[in-house]
Amino acid sequence: MNTVLSRANSLFAFSLSVMAALTFGCFITTAFKDRRVPVDIHVSRVMLKNVDDFTGPRERSDLGFVTFDLSADLQPIFDWNVKQLFLYLSAEYATKSNSLNQVVLWDKIVLRGENTKLNLKEMKSKYFFFDDGNGLRANKNITLSLSWNVVPNAGILPLVAGVGHVSLPFPDSYETTKSY
Amino acid sequence: MLAIFNSIPTYMDYKGQKLAEQIFQGIILISAVIGFIYGLVIEQFGWTVYIVLAGFAVSCVLTLPPWPMYRKSPLSWQPVVPESSGETNQKPQESLKKKRHK
Repeated sequence: MNTVLSRANSLFAFSLSVMAALTFGCFITTAFKDRRVPVDIHVSRVMLKNVDDFTGPRERSDLGFVTFDLSADLQPIFDWNVKQLFLYLSAEYATKSNSLNQVVLWDKIVLRGENTKLNLKEMKSKYFFFDDGNGLRANKNITLSLSWNVVPNAGILPLVAGVGHVSLPFPDSYETTKSY
Repeated sequence: MLAIFNSIPTYMDYKGQKLAEQIFQGIILISAVIGFIYGLVIEQFGWTVYIVLAGFAVSCVLTLPPWPMYRKSPLSWQPVVPESSGETNQKPQESLKKKRHK
């Protein structure tokens, strides 16, 4: 504390410690918050094809196309420890070969300050809904649900499942039209 | 150039150092509390950081330069002993040193 430099040093170190404590406080105030919100998913159209899976087994696999509507109010999730949300729509189903299949169909990043009221109509999936066999045809229980990663300023990176999902049966026959 | 910088007195006396430390700790802690509450209310952690940085800047201005209020109680040194009595003073010091070495 005798010279300017030693005072600057202790001042800087003290400020950094205080800043670290504040960041921890920011984490603690939001660590136990429930970040689930209701989500309304509606599937308007389902189409099923049987095509060559160019990524995997070199056999004809089931490829699903889902058109969906999505509405949710994400405003309650955002607080001072949230930078952005990574939303993703996933399909879960059981087949004979696997008791649990999970496929991500679509995703979206919602930044802080953007419109938090999702109201999406007639959305097409971003990613291919391939089964690793023929498990989609006549599958009576395919569940679509929306989940999100909460990207914080400080602390843990929670993975939250939205409240509300939709279960739908897939058709018994393949579409044969060439256009997809 | 360096000689000019070194000739600027930057020291504080002991009481001034204690006062400076208390002042910057108080300012930064107060700004931290204000910033935390403000950020919590408006849900913007960035403002908390800005307010703490403002407190940092203010305490830099208040405590880095050796303002006169930190130099009010300088140490009272013994007055300089005149050169002529130096020989008489040196002898007891040498004997002291020898004692310590033994």
